[in-house]
Amino acid sequence: MRSNFFFFLVRRAINAFVTLLLLILLVFVLIHVVLPTPEAMAKVYIGSTHYTQSELQSVIVRYGLDQPIYVQFLNYLANALSGNFGMDSLYKVPEMQLLDKFIPITLEFVVVAIFLQVVIGVLTGGLAALYRGKAVDWGIKALYLVSWAAPVFLWATLLQFGFAYDLKLLPSMNVANPLLTPPKPITGYPLIDSALEGDWSYFDSLLQHMVLPVLAIAITGFGLTTRMMRSSSIEVLDRDYVRLAYMKGLSGGKVFFGTVFRNAIIPIITLTAVQFGFAISGAVVIEDIFLYKGMGFFLYQSVVNLDYVAILTTTIIIGISVIVANFVADVLYALVDPRVRLE
Amino acid sequence: MDIIKKAVGFRGDVDAAANTGVPQNLTTWYYMFHKKEAVTGMAIIVVFLVWSALEGTMQALAYYVRRPNLGWVLLPHDPLASPNPALSLRPPSLAYPFGTNLNGQDILSRLLYAAPKDAAAAMVVVFSAVVIGGLLGVMAGYYGGWTDEILMRVTDAFLAFPGLVLAIALSMLIGPGFDSVLISLTIIWWPIYARLFRGQTLTLKYRGFVEVSRLFGVSQLRVLFKHIFMNAIDPVLAYMALDFGTVILTYSTLAFLGIGIQPPYPEWGSMSSDGLSFFPSAWWYTLFPSATILLVVIGFILVGDSLQDALSGRVSDR
Repeated sequence: MRSNFFFFLVRRAINAFVTLLLLILLVFVLIHVVLPTPEAMAKVYIGSTHYTQSELQSVIVRYGLDQPIYVQFLNYLANALSGNFGMDSLYKVPEMQLLDKFIPITLEFVVVAIFLQVVIGVLTGGLAALYRGKAVDWGIKALYLVSWAAPVFLWATLLQFGFAYDLKLLPSMNVANPLLTPPKPITGYPLIDSALEGDWSYFDSLLQHMVLPVLAIAITGFGLTTRMMRSSSIEVLDRDYVRLAYMKGLSGGKVFFGTVFRNAIIPIITLTAVQFGFAISGAVVIEDIFLYKGMGFFLYQSVVNLDYVAILTTTIIIGISVIVANFVADVLYALVDPRVRLE
Repeated sequence: MDIIKKAVGFRGDVDAAANTGVPQNLTTWYYMFHKKEAVTGMAIIVVFLVWSALEGTMQALAYYVRRPNLGWVLLPHDPLASPNPALSLRPPSLAYPFGTNLNGQDILSRLLYAAPKDAAAAMVVVFSAVVIGGLLGVMAGYYGGWTDEILMRVTDAFLAFPGLVLAIALSMLIGPGFDSVLISLTIIWWPIYARLFRGQTLTLKYRGFVEVSRLFGVSQLRVLFKHIFMNAIDPVLAYMALDFGTVILTYSTLAFLGIGIQPPYPEWGSMSSDGLSFFPSAWWYTLFPSATILLVVIGFILVGDSLQDALSGRVSDR
């Protein structure tokens, strides 16, 4: 059984790596389809509209844009895999150095948001399934339809206005109070760092600033989880072993949490990996509204500044994080449901 | 009979429709017209599409006969009126039901003026995605082997990108404008359909009618298109209906970020983003555009949801 699991892990890891290579190839191809000539590429790399012909030529030579396409791809691949995504055309520092600060901030709040979203989704979905066709079911459906169909900026705006400006309960923008000194980076994740160093006032400030963006993502995202949980719970509720549990005289609550819940939650694991992608998409808009300076904010700033290198790098990094999320989901799935390992 | 049904968990209206003597091929429609949510959703969509067709025709006409004011004869006010500080930020009133924006333009007129573009975006992106993804997915499922492996790995790579993020990168590379957003949305939208169609093809491939038509020497292209693609599209319909709403959401989120149609032309997403700096004192500025998006998307979700129930069991995700 153990070795089975090991082989499963290896197979999934290889799969993830192939997808990663293809993802890099994809970005490379897309760039070359959109910018077919070396001159067009060089113009993008220069990053300004004022340049001379000789500057253009020097960029072409420096970045090897006149070399055969496969040489260019191998260079690109080697650099990308070693974490070198080039210099930022605006800040003139390596791209990864910039992103090092932004990635942890986004990951932190997205992970918290996903957790909250799954909790809300699983609870409401389970309730809707238990009371299917009744008022509770309809109420939950109305709730998630509205939250799901609304553009993400609508929720962010309403939350920001309601809790920050009107009630003055929570800060309206930034990652933490800018007057406090941030902790020394140990792991790079501010929340973990401040906890490790016992800097609780900073920790508290981080948490307070996180609440609204997290809520905005959780509200827009929980609908999918609710829907999936409802349909999978209904499927499980119709099974013979559930009827048997009722026949044995177990109480409704025990049947639900002991039998139905544990079986119905399995498909949610895969869905959560998909939700991770959606949450990061949402983060681009939400970070912009809350000036929450993470990857999404950086991406939006790069769009405004027409910083193509930064846009592509952020896109690749986000793609990689989604691949990792999918891999983790696969592994979790196999841990929870042993049948998958034997496929 | 009723007692047994209750015991095994009565599946609801689909069975009811099937048992009332309604012909089988009518049951989907029967179901759709007898469910309140579905009817509400269809009403919203019909109003949205009819208006878009009407207004879109007027705008096209105005463009070809070079008389711009023809584009807003149906609207209460000129949506592109030149800035008028006297009318700036008027709250909702009888003359301006949704208020006015900073430039003194009527928000209702601007919302109505922008509708055809959203409808066009949803239609173009979903239908192109269905055609591209459908053909590739059918090929992957039908031929199997290496074709399948390569096509599905590429699909996976596309699906690894969150849609909005890749759309941003692509539309930045292609350049500003409506067409570039449509192209980039299509590029990110086809892979999920390739998945759906591949799954359908795998179940259809060995069905009797496909094998018989192969035996009769029907050309491979005809088998692929007429017998597999056309049969696979039916169960994908529910997903498509939902997807029109998702495209509109993504499209307006892009516009919110300033990608897509450029000012002065109105767009629901960019109108909400313009109004954001005047929220909450001029709440109508950002809330009405956002609410319009919400309403239209709910329409599509209601229809998609009901269709899925009606066709239940026939759509599988992968």
